[in-house]
Amino acid sequence: MVFRGVFAPESFAEFMRHRAARLSIAARPRRLEDARIEVEVEGDADLVDMFEMACSLGPLDCLVLDVERVGSEPGSRR
Amino acid sequence: MSFEAGWYAVAIAEGLEPGTSAGTRLFDKEIVVWRDQDGASHAWEDRCPHRGMRLSFGFVRGNHIACLYHGWQYDTAGQCRYIPAHPNLEVPDTIKVVTYPSAEAGGLVWIWSEMTTEAPVPPPADFAARPVRSLYVERSAESIAAAFVSGALGDFEASGPSVFETVIDGARLRLALQPFTAERSALHIVRLGGEADPTAIAAWSEGLRRGLEAPLPVRCAAPAAHAGA
Repeated sequence: MVFRGVFAPESFAEFMRHRAARLSIAARPRRLEDARIEVEVEGDADLVDMFEMACSLGPLDCLVLDVERVGSEPGSRR
Repeated sequence: MSFEAGWYAVAIAEGLEPGTSAGTRLFDKEIVVWRDQDGASHAWEDRCPHRGMRLSFGFVRGNHIACLYHGWQYDTAGQCRYIPAHPNLEVPDTIKVVTYPSAEAGGLVWIWSEMTTEAPVPPPADFAARPVRSLYVERSAESIAAAFVSGALGDFEASGPSVFETVIDGARLRLALQPFTAERSALHIVRLGGEADPTAIAAWSEGLRRGLEAPLPVRCAAPAAHAGA
């Protein structure tokens, strides 16, 4: 899952960690930059959708402009 | 005087009807108190884990409370059991509301002031009492307790760190103090014994509130029978 926007990377990483824990899914950050966050997500498809929605709002100090799913196949849980 | 972790009354039990919820605060922490259809009361953090909406704005559905925002439903243990947008989802155990230990005694709903699964000390023992009313006062709990102890507002006897008793118009009243915020408090009043004219009690209550909110300590205007306290 790729988020583009304006980030405080550590803040966004903590937000992802918290949301993933709440939703019982795995979220492994792969790239944390000021304009791009990449995270490998694994879990129930509905819960992954919820994770995407939650992170698209993000913490107060981050602005998500775009979300893209990369490398996931139909029926995949990533 | 300062208040520590402990059991505090947060509502008159009779005022919390089955199937209803109410928002309150304890030490500025937002809390929802709700009663399920089976009659059990619950005290939780007033915050849906989904989007943070106050659960006190939600609806009680049987023995679940549903968030107003997206309808997520929580059982009596705080566990999310149903998400309307994903009706077939087996909701993970991690979607759970933070709960406070709570109990009912003496016609009041009491909660332990810290978020924990079990309070380190048992709740107040039950006692016979009839509900009178709750009083919300723009004054800190510490200064209210100090005013009661000082006698500036009448004769009050401390029966616990946040509990006081007095006699008004022949009725023995117990007042349980709820530290709401730093500058706001609630007093939950029950009658332990004696008969009293409700009008006199109401007038005394209003006088007490005015006295507590006055800039300087002012002796509360009490009925003449108060002298028998």
